[in-house]
Amino acid sequence: MKVIAPRIALIVLVLTLLVTVLGCSGQTEPEVLRVATTTSLYDTGLWDYLEDIFEDRYDADLQIQAKGTGIALELGMNGDVDVVTVHDPLKEAAFVAGGYALNATVDGNSTARVTWAYNYFIIVGPASDPAGVGSLTGSLAPEEAFQKIQQEGALDPDTVRFVSRGDESGTHGKEKAIWASAGYNYTEDIVGNGTADGWYIEAGTGMGATLVMADELMAYTLTDKGTFLAYQGDLDLVPLVETGDIMLNVYTAMICTNGVNPGMAQNLVTFLRAPEIQALIAGYGVPEYGEPLFYPWDPEICGLP
Amino acid sequence: MTEIWDGLTKAVQLLISLDPAVMEVAGRSLTISATACLLASLICIPLGSLIHFHHFRGKRVLINIIQTLFSVPTVLVGLFLLVLLSRSGPLGELRLLFTPTAMVIGQMILITPLLLGLTISALSGVSKEIADTATSLGASGSQAIRLVLKEARYAVLAAVMLGFARAISEVGCALMVGGNIRGATRVITTVISLEAGKGNLELAIALGMILLLLALIINIVLNRLQQR
Amino acid sequence: MSLIEVVDLSHSYGEREILKGLNLGIDKGEAFALIGPTGAGKTTLLRIMDLLEVPGAGEIYFDGKHVPRSGKQRLEIRRRMSFIHQKPQVFNLSVYDNVACGLRWRGEKRNRIANKVDHILEMVGLEGYRNRDARTLSGGEAQRVALARALVLEPEVLLLDEPTANLDPISTAKIEQLISNVARQQNTTMIMATHDMSQGQQLSDRIGVLLDGRLVQTGNATDIFRSPTNEAVAHFVGMENILEGVVVENNEGIALVNIDGYIIQAVSGYPVGKEVYACIRPEDITLLIPDGGQQTTVKSSARNSFQSEVTRVTTLGPLSRVEIDCGFRLIALVTRISAEELNLQAGKEVYATFKATGVHIIEKGSGQ
Repeated sequence: MKVIAPRIALIVLVLTLLVTVLGCSGQTEPEVLRVATTTSLYDTGLWDYLEDIFEDRYDADLQIQAKGTGIALELGMNGDVDVVTVHDPLKEAAFVAGGYALNATVDGNSTARVTWAYNYFIIVGPASDPAGVGSLTGSLAPEEAFQKIQQEGALDPDTVRFVSRGDESGTHGKEKAIWASAGYNYTEDIVGNGTADGWYIEAGTGMGATLVMADELMAYTLTDKGTFLAYQGDLDLVPLVETGDIMLNVYTAMICTNGVNPGMAQNLVTFLRAPEIQALIAGYGVPEYGEPLFYPWDPEICGLP
Repeated sequence: MTEIWDGLTKAVQLLISLDPAVMEVAGRSLTISATACLLASLICIPLGSLIHFHHFRGKRVLINIIQTLFSVPTVLVGLFLLVLLSRSGPLGELRLLFTPTAMVIGQMILITPLLLGLTISALSGVSKEIADTATSLGASGSQAIRLVLKEARYAVLAAVMLGFARAISEVGCALMVGGNIRGATRVITTVISLEAGKGNLELAIALGMILLLLALIINIVLNRLQQR
Repeated sequence: MSLIEVVDLSHSYGEREILKGLNLGIDKGEAFALIGPTGAGKTTLLRIMDLLEVPGAGEIYFDGKHVPRSGKQRLEIRRRMSFIHQKPQVFNLSVYDNVACGLRWRGEKRNRIANKVDHILEMVGLEGYRNRDARTLSGGEAQRVALARALVLEPEVLLLDEPTANLDPISTAKIEQLISNVARQQNTTMIMATHDMSQGQQLSDRIGVLLDGRLVQTGNATDIFRSPTNEAVAHFVGMENILEGVVVENNEGIALVNIDGYIIQAVSGYPVGKEVYACIRPEDITLLIPDGGQQTTVKSSARNSFQSEVTRVTTLGPLSRVEIDCGFRLIALVTRISAEELNLQAGKEVYATFKATGVHIIEKGSGQ
């Protein structure tokens, strides 16, 4: 009897393990989907809000990293993520051209760039508005504001300053586009001379941190409206320029060619454009901030499909 | 793998060409961390001696706290300073946030426990009879302390080295209170973080190599000093 | 007037009482040896005299002035003294810097320091070691550095704590030579702690015996070695024969003492009936071989002569230690050569003789 006892114990152990393993495989493990998103989406809390709904609906484990557009696309190229959600049309075009994006199906159409929400960039600054950009209106207001900031900043860099993301993010890309549209050579006139004069401050950091820095330094900066609204409570900065064609900010999702889970990636794209989710996006933040942080997809503005 | 190789090649290129932007950032890293380390040493070595040579209630507890703070997270120091130096903070009037001075202060705070603790243990390594002998030969209290410090000079130097290494390699505090502003508060570690964020991995790796090289040079120089 | 005087000095380390109500004055220019076994409190006394420690109780006077228990004045007084510790602690510096330390601390000028250090290094025979790392020296050399470091300060008082402990005989001789030179040439007041009685005898004018935290006897070497005031001192100074007895008769300063039924004669004034110890130094006992049954006592002027038997012979370098039984146990020291000539060995019959002046009588229960 004494010799048999350990054997029985061993059999029981093996059976237990077997049952455990079988039990597990019977239950489906949630599929992992890795997403790299621009910080401006993440800092508003939108992704946290959507994550649970998506995971429930598709039995997925959504793993989201908030990155600047530059590194987000880099992660996508290397296949370190399955989906990227960014907002830099030029970089996105290059990504697609490089063959890093798979075509996704939305509303019966096939496309590599899936636009799914938009809002606007705004120029914010101290309430005192030393460069006097608050009164500008019209479709060229952003360019005119940048010109004023550059001129006043060069004259009095202690009073008029501009904080730039400087991190090759989508927002940074937009800022560069506005400088160019305003007639400047970004590298020479702004980064070169502006840094030397001291009015142009290249922070090299995320949107939230850039807003905090602009607030501390009582400087102007360019921000997407969603992040600004989310941070507004802690800041003394006020929105100064909210109009202008160039300020449009469209968010895109792309399925990465080198990703490991294109099926679930397609699910996410479908999800983002689903009418009931679009309604959630449109309503997100309204109770807290009094206005929407994002507008739902609109073919007139975002383009087809 | 190609990225690492490209990074190495780029590092060599940047070093050989003495790329002005890289040199500027490396120089700033050195200046800020060396200043922080020097100032912290000027405070911590005398203060550590004071703690070591005096008996008072709660000394053990104090030393325990100091040792615990060896591993204070850099972002915590950054956060503390951010709140302190912010425009709305108690020291906001000084206008120090996002300046190299703020980074020096941050690194000083960061390495102070390390320098204090290691100075105390360096002094503990010197036999009590050394101080006794000095006193019996007519050394005043401070003269005896200076002699014991001299006896412990290599261990103290090692403490300073470690402090410098921690200062120059930290990124959390530098990013938070320095702000990584081009031409002003951009140092090697914050540039690495920025370039990696831009997806510019080669440059980030190159800068990382330069940081390691810098650490190596400093170590060799100090080791030479120790062997004398 | 004493240069250093301690009054009613007591000191404890925790529960352990080290010094118990000690009084001692050292005169200017005197060489004083503090002898006593390990743990008697010699080091503590020296440390207190050097003002390295504040005594638990008692006062110190230096050069007639009271020494405060704290304050700057202690440093000034301490700078008039040097202390050589038992275990020399050389600093992790060159030999030159080690010796120069004390002078630098006193703010001496650079070139004066150089002159003095070079002179003292020559004096202790370390002139070639000027730039050597002091920690690479041998024990004897390190002790010479410690000596040079203390002497270069030209102290008024030199305190030495077992200066030759753990040194080989040659190094010991060198150090002893240096110490006695300094004492003679510079008229330095010297206080030396040692457990080596012959060293104390050789290097000092006066000896104090410290036993268990008490200074039990002070006096010149002869006093201490010939006439210890109590049994414990007698024991410590090498009186190997300490015999318990009672005075049974006293004729004009010659006392007859009954030891276990045997009578010995001693020079002593103690009256009849006094319980005493009779102490005899082993080297004061002479051994004679009986001359064919004749009475041998007459051949010696010694008043005490006992027929006895050798029980054991031990060789101690040039001497032989002979244990004999003459009704009571005695130990005698004779040269090894005479031991061989007399063919001393266990069982041999001898006569043990000693003079009445060779017996030192101590009152029983004294000095306790």
